[in-house]
Amino acid sequence: MNYKARIDSVYNGSAVDGKGLRCVVFFTGCNMRCGFCHNPETWTEMGNETDLSDLVRKIKRYKNYIKNGGVTLSGGEPFLQAEFCAALVNALHVEGINSIIETNGLIADEALIEACDGIRLDVKNQDGRVDKRVYDFLDKCEELGKEVTLTNVLVPALNDTPLKLNIIKDIKNRYSCIKELKLLAFRKLCTSKYERLGIPFPYEKYEEGGKKDLDKAYAFLQE
Amino acid sequence: MKYEQWKGFKEGDYQNKIDVRDFINLNYTPYEGDKSFLAGPTERTKKVMEKVNDLLKKELDKGGVLDVDTEHVSGLLAYEAGYIDKDLDIIVGFQTDEPLKRGVNPFGGMRMARQSCEAYGYKLSDKIEENFKYSTTHNDGVYSVYTDEMRAARKAAILTGLPDAYGRGRIIGDYRRVALYGVDYLIEQKLADKKRYGQNDMSEDNIRTLEELHQQIQALKDLKGMALKYGYDISQPAANAKEAIQWLYFGYLAAIKEQNGAAMSLGRTSTFLDIYIQRDLDRGTLTEEQAQELMDDFVIKLRLSRQLRTPEYNELFGGDPTWTTESVGGMGLDGRTLVTKNSYRMLNTLYTLGCAPEPNLTILWSDKLPENFKKFCAQVSIDTDSIQYENDDLMRPIYGDDYAIACCVSAMKVGKQMQFFGARCNLAKLLLVTLNGGMDEYSGLQVAPKGKKFEGKLDYDEVMAAFNEYSKWMCRLYINTLNVIHRMHDKYAYEKIQMALHDTEVHRFMACGVAGLSVIADSLSAIKYAEVTPVYGDNGLICDFDIKGDFPKYGNDDDRVDSIAVSVLENFNKELKNTPAYRGAEQTLSALTITSNVVYGKKTGSTPDGRKKGEPFAPGANPLHGRETSGALASLNSVAKLQYNCCRDGISNTFSILPNALGDTKDKRISNLADMLGGYFKEGGHHLNVNVLDRAKLVEAMENPAKYPNITIRVSGYAVNFHKLSKDQQLEVLKRTYHGEL
Repeated sequence: MNYKARIDSVYNGSAVDGKGLRCVVFFTGCNMRCGFCHNPETWTEMGNETDLSDLVRKIKRYKNYIKNGGVTLSGGEPFLQAEFCAALVNALHVEGINSIIETNGLIADEALIEACDGIRLDVKNQDGRVDKRVYDFLDKCEELGKEVTLTNVLVPALNDTPLKLNIIKDIKNRYSCIKELKLLAFRKLCTSKYERLGIPFPYEKYEEGGKKDLDKAYAFLQE
Repeated sequence: MKYEQWKGFKEGDYQNKIDVRDFINLNYTPYEGDKSFLAGPTERTKKVMEKVNDLLKKELDKGGVLDVDTEHVSGLLAYEAGYIDKDLDIIVGFQTDEPLKRGVNPFGGMRMARQSCEAYGYKLSDKIEENFKYSTTHNDGVYSVYTDEMRAARKAAILTGLPDAYGRGRIIGDYRRVALYGVDYLIEQKLADKKRYGQNDMSEDNIRTLEELHQQIQALKDLKGMALKYGYDISQPAANAKEAIQWLYFGYLAAIKEQNGAAMSLGRTSTFLDIYIQRDLDRGTLTEEQAQELMDDFVIKLRLSRQLRTPEYNELFGGDPTWTTESVGGMGLDGRTLVTKNSYRMLNTLYTLGCAPEPNLTILWSDKLPENFKKFCAQVSIDTDSIQYENDDLMRPIYGDDYAIACCVSAMKVGKQMQFFGARCNLAKLLLVTLNGGMDEYSGLQVAPKGKKFEGKLDYDEVMAAFNEYSKWMCRLYINTLNVIHRMHDKYAYEKIQMALHDTEVHRFMACGVAGLSVIADSLSAIKYAEVTPVYGDNGLICDFDIKGDFPKYGNDDDRVDSIAVSVLENFNKELKNTPAYRGAEQTLSALTITSNVVYGKKTGSTPDGRKKGEPFAPGANPLHGRETSGALASLNSVAKLQYNCCRDGISNTFSILPNALGDTKDKRISNLADMLGGYFKEGGHHLNVNVLDRAKLVEAMENPAKYPNITIRVSGYAVNFHKLSKDQQLEVLKRTYHGEL
């Protein structure tokens, strides 16, 4: 079957989106509108229609670099195009390439969770509550024994409070499939993207996070 | 023949004829372990380094030149012995009688020598002025023969950086021979060669060779005399590690006293020296601390090598470089690694002495290198930013396992091959000359044969056909110009001591080069895939281009444009071979600009890719900054497509990265960088400069040099002290793509 998907772009050579050197595929379309999002261009389903075999062929060009890393499916929300993603992950497995998926955890597609080599789940606690579906997603990961890295964008004066950090802490403690917790400092490098798209940057008013904020939050989480 | 000094070495062919490779192959000890055996600096080394740093500061405070000896003409016997501290120095020898005092070398050209002195507030002595009134320099010779066409191409900067007024360099003497055989045996061998050549018919070639052999023998005698000034008799082989380093260094020192070549590279010495060090360690006459101390003192001397040059020359090359390139590592033809403990010690000098741009440490990378060594190299890159990498798996099949890199990327078999350095042709400018019907877009002068002026929307096939015609014209003129230059260099500034440390029958390369590769690739891509129309100025010349639509850009692993870059090199290389080169030299090509990509850009009008008049080119084979949008690995893959086969003099690529983009812990950074290097070279990449640095740190350093006095960065092909770059070059380094993600 000839699978097609809508993607924004492929970035070849990230060392910060999972283990080792990785190619990152940015899918378009998202079922959330996070205020800190640094990829607003992937919110709508615009983007380039891409053929599975084309995409695999392009990624294969980097086999020599990513042997200790792999591919990260990101976006946007990859689980919105779960069927394609599962086909992609399987095709990459044939090539001996590992794939992990970045997700907001709202769509617990069993086949895709099972197929991939790991999940990076970004917990959105900025509003003080976490969508119930995220727990379903994590239940599924637990059940399938899928390794999860929990990420969370730390926005100073928004979600670095004990109340909100405790949400993260609780999730982390509840699931043994969560192997790592990674806090990401809120940055505003994406401001120009919002300007170009002509949409307001929801978190414009917040300050960027730094190493100090992260250290403090990590200390709290480890208490 | 057998020397007492060879006791403990395995016997072999090297004992009956000059064959350093055979000696290494029989006697070296491959090392696959990690760095844990390394020792730190001794108290003595620390004390010497204090004095060295003090001298370097004084040099910087004085505007870059500490002192000039204007009374003598630089040569092997011109100066008395010089020391940092006679009681502390272990390895001895300076180019003049004091460290960092520069000698004058007028053989390349008087004007250059005079101007270099004056630029730093000195005046060439009347004695030297008087003497050189009656002798011809290399520069005089070249200009007495240059044709109008050659002068015009040079003046319009289509041919640029030609070594017609300075030493050509890029010749590596096999300095190891001095240590292994002692000078008397080397003289004996050259005398035998001279006798042999004396039997031939006296053709002009044969007479030239005989005269050169005479000069070589004299230079070897002077080399002994030079060593005697420091109290050493080097007529016999070196007897231990300290002597081996000292003998070898004397050979190199003689070369940099005699010649002020642009690149005076050292060769491939670490593993050779390891054999002597290991023998002493085994004998119990040397400790690891002492071994490191010897290498440290050797490297201190290399770091203090200086040549007197004009500020304009520095603008071209940036940072007062000497390209004392030392090639480290690689694999042997028999499958054993050529990495030894002394490869580690050489790299360790970046820690024991602090980081520095010279010697230009170059890792010969192979997929088969010991993993421990790969990791150590990646760590050194991340910590010091001071090493470059070249693909041994690509070069070994061509040059064997005893080659070294001259300058940045030029490979040659040590002692068996040499090259005639040929600088480069500005391809972007050549395209503009093509479109302007043979006229220089700056001066309006007819610098090339008259052709059609292109008007209206450019047609790719038509442009390519014309460009190929002009390339033909260019290549013939280029080789002929180089023939003139090198004939005159041989005649008036022959490298006596360096060639004495070569076989008499030597293979020669005529090393041509191109600048502006990414600009020409993108320009042709724009013409092919977008709509490009020339805009004419009042002077009837193209002043700009109107570009409608998008086009594939080099640096994104896109075959549509990458293949253009590949074929431009292929065609140019093929064309070069159609004109015979001086002394039967083999024509080769490089894609290499040092920091000169800034200067070349200044001299080139707006190009069809949207680059505006005067804007810098990308260095070497790099994609133009800001045009790579598909990630660092895509950029590497584009460059890796360029074929080494048609670019045998090297393909230079510079890669800058912020440390945190390589991973969030030191271990991850090391492993990711090693993966990146491994991937690039497996893809067939030839060379990679790696800059792992913090942009903020660099900005701060620009404003406050005192705070980061020792920032080494790599600029296509060599490492340089950031503060020795001009403001323009510093800004260019900052502007250059920082692969934000990686």
